Amino acid sequence: MGTIRILLADDHNIMRDGLRLLLERQSDFEIVGEASDGRQAIALAQELRPDIAIMDIAMPDMNGMEATRRIVESCPRTSVIILSMHYDESYVIRSLKAGARGYLLKDSVRADLIAAIRAVMQSKTYFSPKISQILQEDYMQELEQKEQDDSYDLLTDREREVLQLIAEGLANKEIANKLNLSIYTVDTHRSHILRKLNLHSVPEVILYAVRKNIIA
Amino acid sequence: MRERPTIVLLCGFGGLLLLMAGAETGALFFLSSLRSDNVRLQQRFLARNRQLEQIRSSIYLSGTYARDSLLAPEPTGAQAQKVALENLRASAETTLDEYAKSLDSEERAPFQSLRSEIDAYWKVLDRTSAWTAPERDKYRYEFFYTELIPRRTSMLQVADQIAQLNDQALQRGDQQLGLLYERLRLGLLAMILLTFLGGAALAATTIFFLLRLQGEARQRLAESLAARAGLRDLSAKMVRAQEDERRAISRELHDEAGQSFSAILMEAESLLELSPPNGSASHLESIRLLAKRGITETRNMALLLRPSMLDDFGLVPALNWQAKEASKRAGFRVHLSAGEQANELPEEHKMCIYRVVQEALTNVARHAQAAAVQVDVHNLPGKIRLTVQDDGSGFDAHRTRGLGILGMEERVAHLGGTLEIDSAPGRGSLLKVELPVANWKAESTSESAGPESQNGNYSHSAG
Repeated sequence: MGTIRILLADDHNIMRDGLRLLLERQSDFEIVGEASDGRQAIALAQELRPDIAIMDIAMPDMNGMEATRRIVESCPRTSVIILSMHYDESYVIRSLKAGARGYLLKDSVRADLIAAIRAVMQSKTYFSPKISQILQEDYMQELEQKEQDDSYDLLTDREREVLQLIAEGLANKEIANKLNLSIYTVDTHRSHILRKLNLHSVPEVILYAVRKNIIA
Repeated sequence: MRERPTIVLLCGFGGLLLLMAGAETGALFFLSSLRSDNVRLQQRFLARNRQLEQIRSSIYLSGTYARDSLLAPEPTGAQAQKVALENLRASAETTLDEYAKSLDSEERAPFQSLRSEIDAYWKVLDRTSAWTAPERDKYRYEFFYTELIPRRTSMLQVADQIAQLNDQALQRGDQQLGLLYERLRLGLLAMILLTFLGGAALAATTIFFLLRLQGEARQRLAESLAARAGLRDLSAKMVRAQEDERRAISRELHDEAGQSFSAILMEAESLLELSPPNGSASHLESIRLLAKRGITETRNMALLLRPSMLDDFGLVPALNWQAKEASKRAGFRVHLSAGEQANELPEEHKMCIYRVVQEALTNVARHAQAAAVQVDVHNLPGKIRLTVQDDGSGFDAHRTRGLGILGMEERVAHLGGTLEIDSAPGRGSLLKVELPVANWKAESTSESAGPESQNGNYSHSAG
């Protein structure tokens, strides 16, 4: 595998310097650009076509989530990892909806950032353990309070397999290859899963998987 | 300055009443004295008339007795007539003396002449008693016609004159009474006029003061209304300023302090990876932990001041976070039900609902000992309704009104809304807020099944 080209977007120099210091210690990582607001991040992403964009949420001019949405739209090869102080679910959900592949908390950068980049490079998603934990706890409490049966029990074993692969970020074709199924069968499984779990998009599937502790 | 109208009015009314009372008693007193004067005058006139009559009849009778004694054939008969004459004379004298007691100045001269006439008459009569029988026969006719009759006539004339004078005195007294009566009439008329004028002046003064008072009251009312409006305006401005300030501080904390802590954390971690010399590793580790705590604390502080979700995503995610936090902190479950449409509310409405929920949850945590709280945000045509219901110990909603509730009321009133609290000890409490929203349509139910419905219908319990 060649060099992983990385774009940093954070409005604080000191933060970017720290990240650069941390990441450049990995021999196969290369910082190709630094942006201090959302618009600059989009422009640099379109110009440099990096493999990874590390994005702060709170930035002037345009926030990280909107910038993520536009980068994912215009540069499909670039994977965005959110790096934020926010741990509230609403930020995680919206970041995922915008197309981010990872969500990290700023107080666990050293432990998570490199692992996250490597996971995302393998088309997986990555969340700081604390985020996963919070999402799982919330989910359990929600179930408890609504006194509902866990709809996960409604899924067949095959559907659970497909669910995990969707949540890990694999496309239908990749899933079909991996499980030796036809792409149509995978598509049928996917729609059954979405209906049974009352989900509507890939980010929701990812979130669900995280909350159910299917993926981390 | 304030007491002056009161004093003026008191003096005015008191004076007028005293004047009227005085005038009436005076008039009554005067009338009764007028009446008694009149009676006295008439009695005096009648008494004197009677006395004069008596004198006149005495004179007549004396003439008769004198003639009879002169004409009596027997001396004994003459003697008897003489005794009768003496009696008559004595009674006439007494009557004269009595009359003399009540003499007017005008009557004095005629009365004196009457008296001397009468004295002279008695003396003439005395002369006859000394006569012998032949003398009587000789002179009696002559005496009778030339002395007695003319004297008697002149005496009676004088008496008539006095009677006339007496008559005149009565008329004078009557005239005097008439004058007095006229004076009383004028006096009463003047008094009536005076009281009427005084009353009118008093009424005018009273009306003047009343009008001035009314004007002042109206002005005060306008002033106090203006002051209240100004106060409400000011408090709305203060609320807005407070929110702006909180937002600024929250952002500053989050973006600056938080990021600095993050950077320190990363630097420390980088240094730790370089395997630092013996002593410094433990220091670096403590720096790392401090920075980590710094991140957590600035983040929490910023969120408590003003949750960034409110500005980044809207009301419902912010309420969600609030519900989750309250559940974690206070130990009761918070159920939130709110449609996504609430995110599109105007800024001030969002802020108002968020702060009211925050205050309500704080109150529940502080006082209610509740196990569960239900927070609902309903979209209705033209307005939005917020209810916060807890199953706690409740309170007397009519008596307990803390500063927090006042603050909520202030915010709600500023947006033209209503706030009701229904609670009683042992019955939990229900807070209901309704805010009018311009151009607001009630949410259709199908919309809530959208991709974010999980956000809008969320519950949290104590961890």
